[in-house]
Amino acid sequence: MITKETIENYIQKIPPAPEALRETLMHLNAGDLTKAAAAAQGDKALSTYLKVLVNKPIYGFKSEVKEVAQIFGILGVSKSQQAVYNYMVTLLSPSKWSLFKLNRVSFYNLQADLSINWQKILAHLEINDKEIQSTISLLPASIIVSEALFCEKIKDVNLLRSINPIDLNTILKRLAGVDLFDICEQISYKWQMDEKIAAIIHAASGLKPSDDEEVNLLGKWMHLLLFFTLSKPLYIEAELNDFIDFQIEYVSDIYDEFAKLMEIS
Amino acid sequence: MRAAVKNGVGVFHPQGFLDGNSSASLLSIDDIEATIKNNSDMILVSLKKVIFFNRNGLDTFVKMFAKVRTANHATVGFCDYDNTKYKAIVNFYKNDLNFSLFISQDVATLFSASYKNQQKNVLLFNDDKSQRAAMAIELHDNGHNPIIAQTKDEFYEKSKNRDAYDLIIQDTYLGQMGQKVATRVTGNAIIYTVSSFLDAEIGNTFNIAYHNNSLNVGFRLFIFDSYKVVSMNIHALNFFSKLSSSGAEYNATICFVGMTFEKTPPSFKETLEDAGIMFFEQMDDILQDKELLSELGASSAANIKNKRAINKITVTELPNFVDATVSTIEMMTNSKALKEAVKIDQIDVGSIEGKIASSIGFYGDMDGMVMLVFPVEIAKKACELLIGEETDDTELVLDTLAELVNIVGGKVKSLLGDAGISVDITLPRTYPSVDGLLEIAADKKGIQVDLSFNDDKFLFFLTR
Repeated sequence: MITKETIENYIQKIPPAPEALRETLMHLNAGDLTKAAAAAQGDKALSTYLKVLVNKPIYGFKSEVKEVAQIFGILGVSKSQQAVYNYMVTLLSPSKWSLFKLNRVSFYNLQADLSINWQKILAHLEINDKEIQSTISLLPASIIVSEALFCEKIKDVNLLRSINPIDLNTILKRLAGVDLFDICEQISYKWQMDEKIAAIIHAASGLKPSDDEEVNLLGKWMHLLLFFTLSKPLYIEAELNDFIDFQIEYVSDIYDEFAKLMEIS
Repeated sequence: MRAAVKNGVGVFHPQGFLDGNSSASLLSIDDIEATIKNNSDMILVSLKKVIFFNRNGLDTFVKMFAKVRTANHATVGFCDYDNTKYKAIVNFYKNDLNFSLFISQDVATLFSASYKNQQKNVLLFNDDKSQRAAMAIELHDNGHNPIIAQTKDEFYEKSKNRDAYDLIIQDTYLGQMGQKVATRVTGNAIIYTVSSFLDAEIGNTFNIAYHNNSLNVGFRLFIFDSYKVVSMNIHALNFFSKLSSSGAEYNATICFVGMTFEKTPPSFKETLEDAGIMFFEQMDDILQDKELLSELGASSAANIKNKRAINKITVTELPNFVDATVSTIEMMTNSKALKEAVKIDQIDVGSIEGKIASSIGFYGDMDGMVMLVFPVEIAKKACELLIGEETDDTELVLDTLAELVNIVGGKVKSLLGDAGISVDITLPRTYPSVDGLLEIAADKKGIQVDLSFNDDKFLFFLTR
């Protein structure tokens, strides 16, 4: 159904980050918001994406934010970098979703929901690292990869799952020996993202705890955040709730803290 | 969200956070309809992957339980929870707890019709005396050995010796239990479970189309588990007599196990025996006696009187059947299939060494049977995806093969459905050696397609 070659072909087809994007990221890394905004202006799709993203209700701005420079100024370096990475991930998303009932708007909403709550978590954990802030951007890539690899096989997958509650990640691992998060890691390398991002994403799978205590802790929070988000009606209806397996034991020690932070009662 | 169904037990696996909004999105009206239609003996909602739930979150499933119970008399409830979750559910529903709670799926299956007579040693405890008694009776009826702890202290003391028990039951509650005619397959004998009063209603609850097609697929021994039957009236007597007479054409045997005639006229027994029905006191009298099993036809097929020729619709729809089979095996083995030959004739499997087989019947707008003959190695490879690892356990491979053939059947059903042809499928039957299959297929003409998966030969045979 899906072989190692299928996956290699898929990764090969992933385009490198466009020039304007790389330049934007380079200036953001250097902390130069003005030059970053100027570079971002050169990429119409990026500047439009940023405007749509920050004007979502979840960001809570009272009046419409129109200029990229203004957006970067409001967001600051870390969140701007996160927003640009979010945009990079959308470059991979299909024009039409068939496996998951998503569209451009609902996918952007998912990115925004995850990003805002990730910031809340990092503030709670008192972590102020722009690479860690950006890690959350790569998480939805696992959804895009699932869509790309399984969309033509959905009937087969559904039949398989009608007798065996097996998630897409496990199916992929058993068929091709790699999982969705391995593929996300390869994407991050291709886009020259920081190595820490790939490590946290791996831990967030809930299947490969990290030896690094901080990475592992962040992986737990991210795993729980993912399922908190995927338990919202919009994403359940998009059939995202069980695309990977929720590792409840992995997150049990942070649950109470999480529930308090997210005001779950 | 749909339940994953295996051996008559359907299980929903929600994940994450269950509140009123999320559970309403998880379970649509279509999902509830599909759950009713799948006719499972037991419908469970696993809370294993649910980290948070509230009453509203569970209510959606509880409403579904009520509908399924009313329609199918299936056992319904939640399973896979810890003590905190158990207390929360009991607290939410207090006097309204009319569904069951099973601490794990393993415990639930002890109470299911599909896992009877496994003779498990089970230690059980519940604060409520009547619950303790109800569980012990159900377990005993299902052929297990319940050991009841009367106090919590006794329970903790006994549980220290874990090895003495196959399973330990606590934090479990029996709500209203199902009373439908349940079907399961043991060693290629089909076992139906009947209970309470057998009257004219049996004609409605017994799935005659399913039974007839099981005969067609080659099942020859039908056992009615009647331990819980209180009495039988003349309408039920006529029903079973007719059932036995119609099965005689196939050399099929019908047995009643555990039926007492305390409240049923003894003359009924004679009438049923005259119709060819046999009576046994214990299930083990049949299932543990391999010679008797073989004699009664569980492992051999006899002549089928009404041989049927393949017809135009079977030939027309052949590509659907082959596509469903090929794509399923391709998916499971991750290899490409080559079609080598197609012919209409009697089945020709060549050498039978190192091969196992499976068959599944379908009925409705068209009827027939698909037979698949696998080299053992392909079967093992195809089952790896479901099992998750390599295995040499033949029983496990055969069991998984049955699931695989079920997937083929499901796919055939869906492809034919797309073409406007509505069919239902029987339970799959497996054969540890090809001999058994050949006895069924003897003299039957059908369409044989020889396929090759990575140089391993695989045979598909479609007949009626």
